[in-house]
Amino acid sequence: MTTDATPTGSLLAALVERVTAHADDELVLGHRDAEWTGHAPLLEEDIALANLAQDEIGHAITWYGVRSGLDGSDPDRLVYFRGADEYRSSHLVALPRGDWAFTMLRQYLFDAYETELLARLARSSYQPLAQAAVKIAREELFHLRHSQLWLERLAYGTDESRARLEDALAAAWPLLPQLLAPMPGDAELVAAGMWPAPVEVGSATVDRVTGTLTALGLRAPPLADGQVVERHVRQPPELGELLSVLQSVARADPEAQAW
Amino acid sequence: MSRWEVFKQDAPGKPHQAVGSVHATDARHALINAAHVFVRRPAAASLWVAHASAIFSRTRQELAAQELSTVDRVDPAATAAPGAPLEPYEVFRKSSNRRSMTFADHVGTVEASSAAHALELALAEPTADTALAWWIVPTAAIAASDPADAPAWFEPARDKLYKQQSQYGSGPTPTVRRADP
Repeated sequence: MTTDATPTGSLLAALVERVTAHADDELVLGHRDAEWTGHAPLLEEDIALANLAQDEIGHAITWYGVRSGLDGSDPDRLVYFRGADEYRSSHLVALPRGDWAFTMLRQYLFDAYETELLARLARSSYQPLAQAAVKIAREELFHLRHSQLWLERLAYGTDESRARLEDALAAAWPLLPQLLAPMPGDAELVAAGMWPAPVEVGSATVDRVTGTLTALGLRAPPLADGQVVERHVRQPPELGELLSVLQSVARADPEAQAW
Repeated sequence: MSRWEVFKQDAPGKPHQAVGSVHATDARHALINAAHVFVRRPAAASLWVAHASAIFSRTRQELAAQELSTVDRVDPAATAAPGAPLEPYEVFRKSSNRRSMTFADHVGTVEASSAAHALELALAEPTADTALAWWIVPTAAIAASDPADAPAWFEPARDKLYKQQSQYGSGPTPTVRRADP
């Protein structure tokens, strides 16, 4: 059964948390991508990263809009005036952009996760979520094609490009479980058919990513088993640094209507 | 990295048009970069890319100066021996100086023994004397976007909001407008 009626009580609270977490992931990753503007290794990739950044931030606006429909929150207030520990984004997206290999690998991991998430979210019983997922999934496929293409070229490029890709994998891989981790209200959301089971999205993501890495002759270390991983833990200092840039103009004059 | 020419088709049934070039490691990378650079605005149905070295080009002035027999500096196909087997070439033609965003339009395919031969065939067409420039590209040198990818590559651009330049303020000094107290 599908509905566009707003859920209430603990279900509403759980959905708000989940949608916020995903919106925050998209916003923070988009901001990291935007940091390449003027610095990418060639003009075309500079434009590509600016496009990816705009897309991810555009997706974030869509998800914040879904949240707004749930609780009447103002997306600008959420983005510009929350502290780092009120953000629900994953640690993976908060890391600095690093080198090109890290940027492309991180993007690939997130694109792979989002592809698996959106394919299932498109069947959400909450209509606004399902509609957003269908629309965004289309574009994510192109992102995935771009980041996967770069993984292949870095893996088979030069000794240096391969070494950089291996370093990027070593840095990003341990953070993947946290991106895939459940959130406290998930059981209720899954039971209501509103959000896909994190364990299912997680294992599909790991299968997809492992398949790609294996085909490139890269070995993904086994993910730590039994270790408790949570989305809800203290944010890394890198997120605070990112937000101090992202929020500086809005906080300089909170009453401004336009610049 | 090397240079690839990009041809964009705005809608099914319209000709692919030369819109510019991208740098890329290979044809697939060139297609992705072409989508990033040239399909951010609405209206694309298909992309072709061809390595810049595969383009055999002649302007009206060059033809008038009888330079057709000159060997193109990068295209060995232009000098294929007479009697060589025929292969398909795509013919692009520039017909107007009034366009700013596109160069040559795809006008057809010919079977020829070399790029120069393909141009000769194109020049035999009745309206050939109105052309300002010609590009000849071996069909085998063209990589095309996969029609199955069209929803992911081309459809999202149709829904994207973007501002025209004129929508941005351009006063001499930036002003901050505040809400009424």
